[in-house]
Order: sequence, then C-alpha cells, then structure tokens
Amino acid sequence: MFDIESAGDGRIIMSGRLDAAQAAKAQEFLDEIASPRELDCAGLEYISSAGLGVLLRTQKRIMGQGARLRLVNVSNHIRDVFRYSGFDKIFVIESTPDSG
Amino acid sequence: MQELFTRSLDSLDEIFAFTERFFAGREAEERHQYAVNLVIEELFSNMVKYNPTSAGPIVLELQHRDGAIRVRISDREAEPFDVTAAKASDPEAPLERREGGGLGLLLVQKYVDSLEYAYRDGVSTITFTRKLG
Repeated sequence: MFDIESAGDGRIIMSGRLDAAQAAKAQEFLDEIASPRELDCAGLEYISSAGLGVLLRTQKRIMGQGARLRLVNVSNHIRDVFRYSGFDKIFVIESTPDSG
Repeated sequence: MQELFTRSLDSLDEIFAFTERFFAGREAEERHQYAVNLVIEELFSNMVKYNPTSAGPIVLELQHRDGAIRVRISDREAEPFDVTAAKASDPEAPLERREGGGLGLLLVQKYVDSLEYAYRDGVSTITFTRKLG
C-alpha cells in the first residue's frame, strides 16, 4: 500500500511503502509536478533502493531550477536508508519531532 | 518457515506479509524487520529483473537461530549471478554521478552481517544473516 498526493505549492505527501512495485506510480506522479520542493514523509513506513531512485531522478530534474528537494518528518528507519546510501548528502532531510 | 513466491514485483506485498508473520511474537526490534524486508526486496527484485523469462517461483526461507535471522533465497531456474562479487554504488559519489545502479546492493551490504552465494545444478541461492541485538 502506497499513496502519494499533492498538497499544493510544491508540497507532496507520501504514505505507506515505497518499494519496487510502487516506484513507477511515484515517478509518474512526481513527473507531473512542475516544481516539487517538499516531501512530507510522516506516513511513509518504508523505502527501498527503488524509491531512492525515484527521488534521485526527481532531484536531478529540478536541479536546473536551482532547487533541492526537502524531506520532512522522516522516521529513523528511513533516515538510516538515506544515510547508508549517502543520500543524506543529496537531500535536505528533517527528522520527525520525536526521533532526534 | 518457507514459502514460494511468483516471480513478479507484485509478490512484494505477499513477501512482506510473510516476514510479518515470521517476526510476530519474536523478540526483535523493528529495525531488524525493516532490514530483513529491505534486503529481501533488493535481492528478490534483482532476480525478477535479471531473470524475467524463467517461469519458476522463487523460494524464501527464514530461520531464527543463535541470535540471528538467517534468510535463504533460491531461484531454481537461474543463470549464475554472484551477488557478493557485484559492484555496489559509491555512497560518496556526487549527485551528477549518481544513476541508481548498484544502490540496492550497497544497502544489502550495509544491512547484513553475512552474505553468501552458491550456484549448483541451475539453482542460484543467496543466504544472508542479520544479527539481532
């Protein structure tokens, strides 16, 4: 189960599991957003390399706009995935308030 | 605990339900279940991606022994592909050089305590362990 929706002003809300079976859905949605800026991950339970690939392609697309994706409300588990892959240096990541 | 899964990314939901049943009632922190799910997904999706013409299922076997989770993934109709010898992505590479290739393998290496590959009589088997604690 994975869901992605726009909250306006380049803000996007993701929830559920962003795995290899859901990556195409996420990519198609993000490709339709002209200037994605902030991904709210409060409801995102899981991400794998397929999900990271989606975010990487989106980040590369908006580089020309001089922009950088900001991920907010990121859980500890998902933050670990970004850290291990080195993606914490590519995106601006803000943890959930209680995850330190 | 063992189960067969259809060679398709659509099997991932069933796989996660399978690991959920396996971890239920065991004293393992949630981060270990996350790690096991992620490593299984990366290895399983590689098998789907690189051996799509095979019709056979992929076998998943989970064990909890000696303070570790041991997972064996077997592809019965596979060409040899030694995952332990494949090149992982460079986590220090700048954005411009990032393509996504090898990213799954990098995560696998970060999350497991051991990773082994064997190929015999057309069966490709990957075994990994994740220590609890």
